[in-house]
Amino acid sequence: MQNKGMTVIVKTITRFTVWVIILYGIYIILHGHLTPGGGFAGGVIIALAFLNIMLAYGRDFTSDWLKINLLHDLEATSAILFLIIGILGVAISGSFLANFLSKGKLFRLVSAGTIPILNIVIGIKVCVGLFVVVWSLALFHITKGGTE
Amino acid sequence: MIIYVLCFVLFLVGLYGVLTKRDLIKIILSLSIMEYSANLFLILFAYKKDAVFAILSKGENPVMVDPLPQALVLTSIVIELGITAMLVALAIRLYQKYNTFDITKIRRLSG
Repeated sequence: MQNKGMTVIVKTITRFTVWVIILYGIYIILHGHLTPGGGFAGGVIIALAFLNIMLAYGRDFTSDWLKINLLHDLEATSAILFLIIGILGVAISGSFLANFLSKGKLFRLVSAGTIPILNIVIGIKVCVGLFVVVWSLALFHITKGGTE
Repeated sequence: MIIYVLCFVLFLVGLYGVLTKRDLIKIILSLSIMEYSANLFLILFAYKKDAVFAILSKGENPVMVDPLPQALVLTSIVIELGITAMLVALAIRLYQKYNTFDITKIRRLSG
């Protein structure tokens, strides 16, 4: 019952809207250095899209579609990537997280040195971390008639 | 000044909920209201009348609000997320054990 998901109406609508939500999250992440938002906000939006899939389609479908073990690896990898970029700043420019790329022109999409890269890494980390938290909470089996 | 008082009233609403409600879910929601009021208080400190958000835009650049409390509140929101997730996990474990969310019925400490 808990694993079956919702009705066919919800499933059909979710199939269309999830991609729009994910696209909006990617837009927020990529424009993090130009407009309000950034890695954290965009990551939360993408995590909510995945949460939408979990609510509509159930746990079994989501674990097949997203490959939860891969998400655990991705979360750890993004943290290490952030650290690597910070240490590259030490190696090239002299201090932690210092900029070592060309800054480009103001208000361009490809500009601001390492900040867009860090935004993308933070976006992946927040998205996967938030989804794994909700996923772990959903794994509890709640049955009627506890031990009391 | 009145707006800070109203913010404190929001904090008191959350405190009232934590102290008087019996349902665990309502207690968690009241804790969230207290956290939101603290965030709102920090943001209100940085508020200036007729100022824009602290992001450069093309053309003229008018007076901006202080961006430091906003960055602080972003960190605070992440910590609140962790706290809420942990509290919900504890509440689910308690429900599995006692089959109720009523804190007056959760009495047995051992076993």
